[in-house]
Amino acid sequence: MRLRQRVITLLMLSGLALAACGTGGSGQQSTTSGTKHGDTMTVAIGIDPDTLDPAAQTTTTAAQIVDMMAETLVTMDSNGKLQPLLATTWQQASDGMSWTFTLRSGVKFTDGTPFNAAAVKFNFDRLLSPTTFKSQPGVLGGKTGIDHVVAVDDTHVQFFLKSQFSPFAAALTQTNSAIISPASVNVAPNKPEVITQPVGTGPYVFKERVASDHITMTANKNYWGTKKANFDTQVYKIVPEAASREALVKSGGADVVVAPPANDIPALQNDPSVHVILGPSDRTIQIVINTQDSTQPLLQKPEVRQALNYAIDKNAIIKTVMFGAATPLSGPMANSVFGYCQTGNYNYDPNKAKSMLQAAGASGMSVKLVSPTGRYVQDIQVANAVAGYLRDVGLKVDGPGTVDWPTYVATYASVPPALAKTDLHLLGWAPAYLDASQSLQQFYSTQIPPAGLESSYYKNPQVDALIAKGNSGTDQNQRAQDYCNAAKMVWSDAPWIFLYNQKYPFVTTSKVTGVTGLPNEKFVTTWASPK
Amino acid sequence: MSTPVSVTADAPAEQARLLELTSAGRPQSRVWVRLRTHPSALVGMVILALYVFLSAVGPLLLRYDPVHQNLADAFLPSSLTHPLGTDDLGRDELIRILYGTRYTLVLGFAAVAIGVGIGLPLGAVSGYFGGWLDLLAQRVMDILLAFPNILLALALVATLGVGLQNVIISVGITSIPVFVRLVRASALSVRELPYVEAGRALGVPSIVVLLRHVVPNSLAPVIVQASLQLGAAILIAAGLGFLGLGVQAPTPEWGTMLGASRNYIFSDPNLATFPGLAIFGAVLAFNLLGDGLRDALDPRLK
Amino acid sequence: MLTYVIRRLLVAIPTLLGVATVVFSLLRLLPGDPANLIAGPQATPESIAIIRHQLGLDLPLWQQYLAFLGRLLHGDLGISSRTGQPVLQEIAVRAPYTAELALCSLVLAVVVGIAAGVVAATRRNTGADLGISSSAVFGVSMPVYWLGLMLIVVFAVRLRVLPAAGNDEGVASLVLPTITLALFSMGLVARQTRSAMLEVLGQDFVRTARAKGAGRRSVLIRHALRNALLPIVTTIGLQFGTLLGGAVITESVFAWPGMGRLLLDSISARDYPVVQGVVLMLAVAFIAINLLTDLVYAYVDPRIRYS
Repeated sequence: MRLRQRVITLLMLSGLALAACGTGGSGQQSTTSGTKHGDTMTVAIGIDPDTLDPAAQTTTTAAQIVDMMAETLVTMDSNGKLQPLLATTWQQASDGMSWTFTLRSGVKFTDGTPFNAAAVKFNFDRLLSPTTFKSQPGVLGGKTGIDHVVAVDDTHVQFFLKSQFSPFAAALTQTNSAIISPASVNVAPNKPEVITQPVGTGPYVFKERVASDHITMTANKNYWGTKKANFDTQVYKIVPEAASREALVKSGGADVVVAPPANDIPALQNDPSVHVILGPSDRTIQIVINTQDSTQPLLQKPEVRQALNYAIDKNAIIKTVMFGAATPLSGPMANSVFGYCQTGNYNYDPNKAKSMLQAAGASGMSVKLVSPTGRYVQDIQVANAVAGYLRDVGLKVDGPGTVDWPTYVATYASVPPALAKTDLHLLGWAPAYLDASQSLQQFYSTQIPPAGLESSYYKNPQVDALIAKGNSGTDQNQRAQDYCNAAKMVWSDAPWIFLYNQKYPFVTTSKVTGVTGLPNEKFVTTWASPK
Repeated sequence: MSTPVSVTADAPAEQARLLELTSAGRPQSRVWVRLRTHPSALVGMVILALYVFLSAVGPLLLRYDPVHQNLADAFLPSSLTHPLGTDDLGRDELIRILYGTRYTLVLGFAAVAIGVGIGLPLGAVSGYFGGWLDLLAQRVMDILLAFPNILLALALVATLGVGLQNVIISVGITSIPVFVRLVRASALSVRELPYVEAGRALGVPSIVVLLRHVVPNSLAPVIVQASLQLGAAILIAAGLGFLGLGVQAPTPEWGTMLGASRNYIFSDPNLATFPGLAIFGAVLAFNLLGDGLRDALDPRLK
Repeated sequence: MLTYVIRRLLVAIPTLLGVATVVFSLLRLLPGDPANLIAGPQATPESIAIIRHQLGLDLPLWQQYLAFLGRLLHGDLGISSRTGQPVLQEIAVRAPYTAELALCSLVLAVVVGIAAGVVAATRRNTGADLGISSSAVFGVSMPVYWLGLMLIVVFAVRLRVLPAAGNDEGVASLVLPTITLALFSMGLVARQTRSAMLEVLGQDFVRTARAKGAGRRSVLIRHALRNALLPIVTTIGLQFGTLLGGAVITESVFAWPGMGRLLLDSISARDYPVVQGVVLMLAVAFIAINLLTDLVYAYVDPRIRYS
């Protein structure tokens, strides 16, 4: 008897202990699970944004969240064309060394302070300051970027540059140029060096963030624009597993998810409860060839590299490995980029590849191939496919070997030619704004590591000259022409095996609409609404 | 781990059984007899034998290349030609699992070999001589033990780099402390034995004492631990593979295959089921064998 | 007793120092330049240099080490290279999640494990014993990551009764990760309890108690279990460490926002300060648990006296 009582007591105590566990600390009793009345939109992304500070943005995932709260002077529409946002007009000076922007008036930050030229100057000063943590001015800084900013009056700002940089306005569409309230950098938990809660002019306002779990924003009731946000709250959930994200969108636990497992895309496209959008992207995927290869000198010959291009069946790869979520490259950059022109076609012709290799004395040569895993959609799978095609034309392929991303960058993508450790490596390249000056960085010899990330070590003085001319020219048509000429030379020199321009897949439930993709791999949920 | 405890039948019946068995003809080691009649050990040995047999015979019957891809055949379901279907690159899943056996067994044995090879001498010397050597060794072991096993292996692999060799080294290093502890305890007890003290007084060289008394004395627990450690090593190594930090694709290591299958868990759960089952089976076999060894080597039944 | 505790704490210091040094060195041996990685593909060499300076990586190694130790003495774990937030804050935000998972798993493992072990020991060599012993050995042989995936497939995908990831559904979210994490320890505790109980049950004082007429169950609880508790307590103490390690993988499988996730993400991002901080915290927790276990030992068994 007594034993039984004790056992029961013990069981009850354990039960209480377990129950206490269940209700302890964590359970975020959010309104997201399954309730959508135009109240809350849930978006599942794959990585945890490192920072929400506009000045420190390096990933499009984090940047698109910041975009909802802090706006730039100029924005890009879904065709990649520039549109006014916080600035109404802009003008490059005749000497090309400065730009003047007219700002929109009557706009306020969500903390009530006014948006004006002083605020703009403050932000760019902050972006260029060495005390701002992880600040990423990119092309806006350095030897060719902004020299200083002048607030001419409340609604006019003048940027003085160190060089004639024609794509300047396009460069201002990047999130690192987003404007936050100067007063807010001193309001806890923000610090002037690190912003954790950006206060901007945008249609959404920061509400809360639980690290590695979710970020919540609420609609800005006093947004200056005519367009209004349709959801009171948007929650961005961090779900690292692609398969889990797919489960969420299918069960309705999320309204929008990014990048489902690629092989499920055909099935999802046939599923009426969800809507697959293959968003445009400017990201090219290529096999970078070491053009200064000393261990395999045959790769220094353009004919050999061209042969490699003919050896790969890009359409088959797109169909069976990318599940249709890509288009083959017809130039060394995506066709949404300003300055793109069609430069040629390396159609799949293994016989031609074999005879070209033979003519160059490269039949049966050995090459080493490496690829990251999980960094790009289906990266290692594509690399495997490429290896297969290369073997089919008689090459001996070592690999594809793989390592984790940081090691990959350190070992293959950012090392100078003397320290190169592979013959071929898979890489993606996505310009932050749609200008060929960005795309062609990968063929500009000033960008050879350690100065930049031109990991093919391609060096062509004529191409260099054309790129430099295009970067500083003021006539847009001339610029496009220069870039096109450069691209044609690059295409025939084939420092890459040009593969494809990948699409950026995201999936919405059929209950929401208005989610659009931008050509730089951001997808915009700001203006979505329930159906 | 715990002290060996006999959970088999009572002593008299046991002895009768042994008598019966050994009188059947050839003289057999008591230990071996106990082992092969122990139910768990038997199951463990059968499973292991099965693994070894299949991994040797399978590739002869099933003539697929475990590495070469064939995209047109991706994600095929189970069929007569592909008993376990194909994976995301069109490779036969069964052949990859069979090939994976070799990598797993090599990983396990090599890692435990490192653990014993370094742990046994270190523990013996540390326990027998004591002094500052012992103190230092204990502190180092404390540091190694301050990390949960998987984390230590993770840290080592992240530093040394990925791949089979480095996984073996990393998992091997995590196996060292447990053997050091075991052998040290044994050495400590041997040190106190009267005849050992006498030997020391008579000037018998320490190395002789170590080899003739300390090592044999610790052999039984070491063997038991080695079997259990094989299971643990396989779990950790496969865990590293699962996280993408172990043996790299396209090598068909079970953990790596399991990690790669996460993407396909809804469309093709088979790719997750079978590699995991294979890992489970191997670890189970070594655990059962270890249990059997523990009982068979139990000094109380001598 | 007090001197024992003090001595243990003193000994812990060089150990922790050793751990800190090992982690510091290992991280610096990792290939991959954090500044380069953090700066991203569009960064100019100038901004990379600025970032490197902000992270303190342009100092010579010994200076970095001394700065690291200096901060440590003040209880300052530094600033995360990834987010710019204090490492202590990054850990503090996530620690409750891991603690919740580990504690619930521990409770589950201990309660079920001890109960199962006692039943198996008292019904030795019966069907119940076979069932429990087999389940236990299955439990310790099961890879955590595989179990998690299988549970997700069955309960989240096929049956749709439990969430596949995350933790925003309260108790429901906790079920699968807890079971996954607890199974190994459950099996181990069950096996340990069974063998400890068997050993105790075979001893003279138990027979004496029975001979004196004490009821079977009271003997079980009051005499056998209490004496068997010692090795069981040790096991439980050790299990906490295993649970912390297993939590790393479980959190990855279930997208649980705890310290394990933080550790993996930080290694990938070469966020040295956070990796150092998390590992140190785990080592401290480990050492504290070990000390606590030994003290509980002494409390349970009056024969043990530390000096």
